[in-house]
Amino acid sequence: MIRNLKEVKDNNFDITRDAEEVRNLSFNDSTCLGCGICESTCPVEAITLNAIAVDARHRTFNDVYFSGHEKIAQNFKEEFDVQRISIDESKCVLCGMCSGLCPVDALVLTIDGTPIKEIDAYPHYNAFSEIDDDECIYCKRCEIACPRDAIVIERILPNRADLVTGEIEVDDDECIYCGVCEELCPAEAIVVDKETGKESIVIDKDKCVYCLVCKKACPTTAIKAVCRSCSYGEYDLDPANAVVKGNSVIDSELCVFCGWCEGVCPTDAAKHKKPFEGSIEIDDEKCQACGACVDICGCNALAFPVSSGPGSRMEHVIANGDYCVKCKACAKACPNGAITVKRTEIDHTPISSTTWKEALDAIKD
Amino acid sequence: MPKHIASGLKYLAAVKLKDAGKSHQAIADELGVDRSTISHYLNGRNLSWNSIDVARTIIDLTPRDFLRMTEAIFDEPEQSRKIVNICRERNFEVIIEDSCIGCGLCVNACTMQAISLESLQAHADSIQCCGCELCSEDCPTNSIKILEIEYD
Repeated sequence: MIRNLKEVKDNNFDITRDAEEVRNLSFNDSTCLGCGICESTCPVEAITLNAIAVDARHRTFNDVYFSGHEKIAQNFKEEFDVQRISIDESKCVLCGMCSGLCPVDALVLTIDGTPIKEIDAYPHYNAFSEIDDDECIYCKRCEIACPRDAIVIERILPNRADLVTGEIEVDDDECIYCGVCEELCPAEAIVVDKETGKESIVIDKDKCVYCLVCKKACPTTAIKAVCRSCSYGEYDLDPANAVVKGNSVIDSELCVFCGWCEGVCPTDAAKHKKPFEGSIEIDDEKCQACGACVDICGCNALAFPVSSGPGSRMEHVIANGDYCVKCKACAKACPNGAITVKRTEIDHTPISSTTWKEALDAIKD
Repeated sequence: MPKHIASGLKYLAAVKLKDAGKSHQAIADELGVDRSTISHYLNGRNLSWNSIDVARTIIDLTPRDFLRMTEAIFDEPEQSRKIVNICRERNFEVIIEDSCIGCGLCVNACTMQAISLESLQAHADSIQCCGCELCSEDCPTNSIKILEIEYD
């Protein structure tokens, strides 16, 4: 039998079989949700979901934010050398089921360099996320809300000079170069050289917004300025020049299709579709507010209510079903079995293989 | 010595092809040997009978040993495939069950190139199967059954 080669780099690894065709399975730890679908799906039981998955996110990215955790955190090293899943390369047959069923791009099987999600014979989830540049106003709400930092909004602002109109000039005979205008100018448009013999004043008209603060504060009457839009309206401004332009990028390797971008989008620019539909329920009686679920959730779909004051007991956790991708990582992490996640629908492309169909059906409730 | 055994196997292959009604030229083309050599073989010349006995013993080994020995004797996998296919006395039927996951290990294991992957399922060409069972041994889901066909 041809042996698999394993190459480990940090918490990521590659398993390769080089024969008639080259099969390579690569694992990307930072993308992994810790859902364990791969573990339960693997037909040769080569995959183990490590316990680290439960608190890795909390410990690597966030500061300790529960009083109890601080004590626990002392026992851990700062650096973590354990990845969320382990794959025994001597058992792995590189069938790609883990990759095909992984709801994100944490496990990717390629055959002769082509990822199986680009090969028709393999099933793919019908999930997507996109930002329509025609609708996007580049407000960056989605970039800030995205729990995976998968969105980058690059915006190009209009020139300030295209948004205001006016006239400003300094009467050099009257100016005493005191620098009051320079200190007050909110747009930092004025530079005054006060050195004796070298006195000068320069107003940058690209920066000036004709607020007239300098004119009003000038101890002499050296500054003559007028805001044209105050006097005559914005007749000489072209609204087209006032538009914010830009472009938006969603990193498909990081995106988990949680829908925060669509939820916070003030226009109809962000759209998404989740691979799974279902429900999430918290048993308030069982929840002991340990926070394990909040730590592992890759979608920021779980949170504690704001504390009602010092000394108050932590309430049970609250789930926001709209942003939950029904990956079940939280239900696995909960030590009290307080979370019930149901996956009722899985939207995937048609598949003819019986075993693959069974595997997809098996992750459905 | 291996060269002699190789010639012995080629001789036996040539005889089988001749019995199947092929011309000397066709046999020569098939086995990648000069036409004159084939004619010599078929006229019983230029070959030690001992080599032919050894070759016959090899063919009578279990299918896997026959395949392994032939692979060891011939450098070219293409050639050993041909010899095994022509000389083997037994026929097999390969059944691949629905439990196949499409991992492709059998495709790699099969020296006879009888198995291919299609729509996440292995498909076997039984005519090419030599019965070595290397594929079923590697199959992680035990989905390959190889049956021997016996003619009455």
